[in-house]
Amino acid sequence: MEKYDVAIIGGGSAGLAALKQLSNLGKQAILLEAGTKIGAKNISGGILYSKKPNNGRVINVEEIYENFLNDAPFERKITKYILHSTSKDKVYSMDLTAAHDYQSNFGCTVLLNKLNSWFAKQAVESSQKLGGGIIPGVHVHSITWNEQKGTSIIQTDELEEFEVKAIIAADGVNSEVADMVGARPKFTPTQLYQGVKVIIKLPEDEINKRFGIGVDEGAAHLFAGDVTLNHIGGGFLYTNRETLSVGAVYHFDSLLSNPTEPYNLIDALLKNPMVSEFIKDQVPVKGEINKGLPQEEQLRIRFAVAKLIKNWNEIRGAYLSSSGRERLINSGKYKTVEDIQTALLSTQDQMSKTYGVTFGTDYVEMEYGAKLVPDGKRCRMKKPFFKNILFIGDAAGRGVFVGPRIEGLNVGIDDGVRAANAIARALDKDDFSEKYLGEYYSQLVEESPYTIDMKQIDKDYLKIFLDAAKDVPRDIIGSRYGPILKMMSSGTLRGIAIKFANILGYERLLPIIESEDTYVKVPMRLAERLGTSVSSSYSPSIPSIADRIAKLNYNDDHKSHIKVLNSNSEFMKEMVTLCPAKCYSEEGEKVVIQHEGCLDCGTCSQETEWRHPRGEKGIHYQYG
Amino acid sequence: MVFNIKSINSELILLIIMGELNVAVIIKLEPDFSEGNVSYNPDGTLNRVETKNTLGPHSAIAAHAAFYAKVMYDAKVSIGTMGPPMADLALQQAQQISDAEELHLYSDRLFAGADTLGTAEVLKTGIEKMQGKMDIVFSGHRASDGETGQTGPQTGWKLGFTFLGNVISYNVDLKTRMIRAKRLISLQGVPDVIEEVEAPLPVFISIDPTYKSSFDTVSQRLSFQKYQKEATGRAENYKEYFKVFDAQQLGVDKTLVGLPGSPTIVYKVEKVPKSTATRQAEIVDGSNHEQIKKVVARMKEALSAMVIK
Repeated sequence: MEKYDVAIIGGGSAGLAALKQLSNLGKQAILLEAGTKIGAKNISGGILYSKKPNNGRVINVEEIYENFLNDAPFERKITKYILHSTSKDKVYSMDLTAAHDYQSNFGCTVLLNKLNSWFAKQAVESSQKLGGGIIPGVHVHSITWNEQKGTSIIQTDELEEFEVKAIIAADGVNSEVADMVGARPKFTPTQLYQGVKVIIKLPEDEINKRFGIGVDEGAAHLFAGDVTLNHIGGGFLYTNRETLSVGAVYHFDSLLSNPTEPYNLIDALLKNPMVSEFIKDQVPVKGEINKGLPQEEQLRIRFAVAKLIKNWNEIRGAYLSSSGRERLINSGKYKTVEDIQTALLSTQDQMSKTYGVTFGTDYVEMEYGAKLVPDGKRCRMKKPFFKNILFIGDAAGRGVFVGPRIEGLNVGIDDGVRAANAIARALDKDDFSEKYLGEYYSQLVEESPYTIDMKQIDKDYLKIFLDAAKDVPRDIIGSRYGPILKMMSSGTLRGIAIKFANILGYERLLPIIESEDTYVKVPMRLAERLGTSVSSSYSPSIPSIADRIAKLNYNDDHKSHIKVLNSNSEFMKEMVTLCPAKCYSEEGEKVVIQHEGCLDCGTCSQETEWRHPRGEKGIHYQYG
Repeated sequence: MVFNIKSINSELILLIIMGELNVAVIIKLEPDFSEGNVSYNPDGTLNRVETKNTLGPHSAIAAHAAFYAKVMYDAKVSIGTMGPPMADLALQQAQQISDAEELHLYSDRLFAGADTLGTAEVLKTGIEKMQGKMDIVFSGHRASDGETGQTGPQTGWKLGFTFLGNVISYNVDLKTRMIRAKRLISLQGVPDVIEEVEAPLPVFISIDPTYKSSFDTVSQRLSFQKYQKEATGRAENYKEYFKVFDAQQLGVDKTLVGLPGSPTIVYKVEKVPKSTATRQAEIVDGSNHEQIKKVVARMKEALSAMVIK
C-alpha cells in the first residue's frame, strides 16, 4: 500500500491553503478533489477579506500566497459598501463602507473557479517537490483506521487504497467525511443559510461608469426589505472585473417556514428597479426572418446573425475593457483603440443594415448557482476534529455572519493554516493522537479571532453600524427590538446599552437581531418613509429555471447520487419548492426526483442520502 | 557525470539497472471535422482551403497511449509526422498530450502524392533518426480523412517490429523488456473479444479507438499531474523541441517515397451517392406556439412508447 504523510480532502480555498502551508513547512501532503479540476465545484457569494483584528492574529491570503496582490486573478477591491432598504420603487441607502473597512486590510470580489485554480497552481509547485501534489477527479468513499499504527486508510472510487498519518477534511458544508466517520451530525436548517447567485455579464467600462468606481475599485451593494419576500436574509450585488455577482442569501429555517422558490428570490431582486438599472446592458435583438424566403436561405440568415452577434459580443467586451483593448492591440489584430471601435461599429452596422438587428436594453445572465452556508454562530464544531482528522472551513461549520459582515473564505483559509501547523507539529513528534494533534488544533482554532466573533458580538463593529444608521427615526425601529437597539441609536446611552447587551449574551440577542423586523419590516418602513423613488427604463427578461439549468455544465451518468429517504415527509415536500434546481416533484403523496440538474448545494441533504458515486460527477461551474 | 549516491532515489537506481524506455508516436494533421470548422464545396467535396486543420482524433489517442508510458515508466517520447509546414500545429497539440521531448516534421515537395506505403517509408526513416533506439512506436487506428488504416502497420513492417493492432491497454516489464497488451478483436464472428498477448520489445502498436489510459494509484496520479504540467510548458515553447527534415536531410531513397514510391493507382474516383432516407421526416418550422405544441405532442407520443421507470 502506498503511504503518504497527509491527505487533504477537498480542494476549495481552505484545503488549498492547508496544502500551501504544509508545503511551506516542508511537509508532504496530497490533496484529493472530487471535481474534474480544482475550482469546478466551488462557488461563493464573492468577497474574500484580509483582516487585521485588534485582538489576536489571523493568517491572511496574502501571507500564504506572497504574490497574491500582484498576481492573483481576484476581481476588484471593494471600496464602496452600501446597504439599501427597499419597498416597491422606494430605496433608502446607507453607506456601510466603514463597517466593511473595519479591521480589514482589504476585501476583494472573487470568482472561485478562476481564483482556486490560481491557488492550486501556487500550492502544487511547492508540494510536488515534497512528493505530494493535487489529484483531481477522485472521490473518497471511506476512511478506516489501523488502530495499532494509528494511521488511516483512505479508499476512493478511483484509486487503490492508501495510508496516511493525518487527514484534513476540507470538503465543504455537506462534508461527506464528517458524515462517514460520524464526526458531527448534518447541519440543521436553523444552522444554515441557503444562497443562490447569478453571474451577469457587463463590460468593464460600463461597470466603472455605472457604479462610479475606478479601474482598481469595486462596489458592494446589499439589499433588505421587500426584495426578501418576507424572509430573514437579503440580497447582494458585487462588482467583478467584467461581471456582476447578484445573489440572495436567506436563513434556511426562514425559507422552510415560508417556502419560496430560491430562483424567485433572485428574480425579486433582479426586478427591483435599482438592481434592474445596475445590471442593464445593450443587447442585440434579432430581426424577423422573412418566412417567404426558401428554407435554406432562412437557415443561412439565422447562422449569419448568430455568428455576427457572437463577433459583436467579443469585440464589444474587449473594446469596453482596459485589458481587452490592450490584448487586442498586442495581438497585432488592431493597431489602435480607434481601429477596434471602427470594427465594432462596422459589425453593428452590418447587423442592423443587412439583417435588421436592433439594439435594446436588457441584462445578460451567464451562470446560475447555489450553495448552503454554515452559520458559524450556530454550527461551528466546538471540537473540530475526529481521531486524526481535522475539519476546516465550511466542513467545520465556520464563518462569521453578523448583519452585513459576511466572511467565510478568509475563515477557511485561516483554519487551513492552523490545521497545517498542528499537523506539522504532530509529524515532527510522530504523534497523531487526539490529545497531541486534535486537541492542539482545537485550541489553535479557539484562539482565532474569527472564533471569538462567532461567539460574541463585536461591540466596536456594532457601533459603526449604528453610526451609519444614526439618521433613522427611532420609532421606525419598532417595539420588538426592546430597549437595547433604541438605546444604541442614541450616542449617550450606547455605553449602557452595550453593557446590557453583554448581560443578555449572544444566544438571546440573535433572535432579536436576526428577525423579520430587522431584515424585512424596518427596511420597508425606512424605504417608505425616507426612501427616494427609483424607476427602471425596462423590465429585465429573466430566464426560467429550466433555461438556467440548461445553461450549466454537468458531468453525469445513469446512477443517481441522491436517494430520498422518506418520500412523504414534510421536509421533502418543502424541497419541491426549495430545491434551487427544481429537482423534485410531488407525485401523489410522494416526493420523487424529477431530474438531476443538481447543483450539489445540499439543501435536501437533511433527509436524503447524498453521496457522489465517483469523482468528476455533477455540476461544473464556469465562474463559481 | 558525478552522482551523489545519497541523492539518487530508488526509482532512479531501478531505472539505471533496467534501462530506459523510448517510445515514438506517428501522427497526422487532419481536417477539423468538428462543428463550425469544416467547410464543403458546393459539389459536396471537402473544401480543404477553408477547413481548419487539427491533430487527427486517432493520432490524439495514440499520443495519450504514449503519455501512459511517460507516466508509468518515465519513457522518453518522440513524435513524427509527414506533412506540409503547417503540420507543426499537430505536433504541438500531440506534445501537449504526451509531453514529448522531440518533435519531427518530415516535409518536402518530393513526398507529395504519397500513398500509405510511400508515407510509411518516410516515417520509418524518420523514426530511425530519433534519439535512442525505439522500444514502442504508436500510431492511431486510422485517419479521419482517408481511412485505410494502412500507414501504421506498414511503418511497423518496414521497421521490422512486432505489430500489435487494436490495443486497448498495455503494460511493460522493464526488466524482461516484454510488453503485455490487451487487444479488442472479433473472433470467428464474435465481436469485442479481448485477447491478451505478450511480446518482446520493440513493438509497433496501432491503438484502438476505445483506448483510455487508467492511472490507479496516488503516485501514478501525481506523476500524471506533474508530467501534464510539464507538457503544457513544453508545448508553449514547442519550437525548442521541433526539427524539420527534408528528403535530403532524412536521407530517404527517393524511389521509395512520394509518387514514385507509391504503387497505388487511382483507377477511378466515384462519388458516393447520397443514400435515400428510410425514415420519414416532417419539417416543423418552430416559429410559433402552435408548431411547437405539435412537436411536443409528437415527442410525448414517441416517449409513451418507451417504458421509463
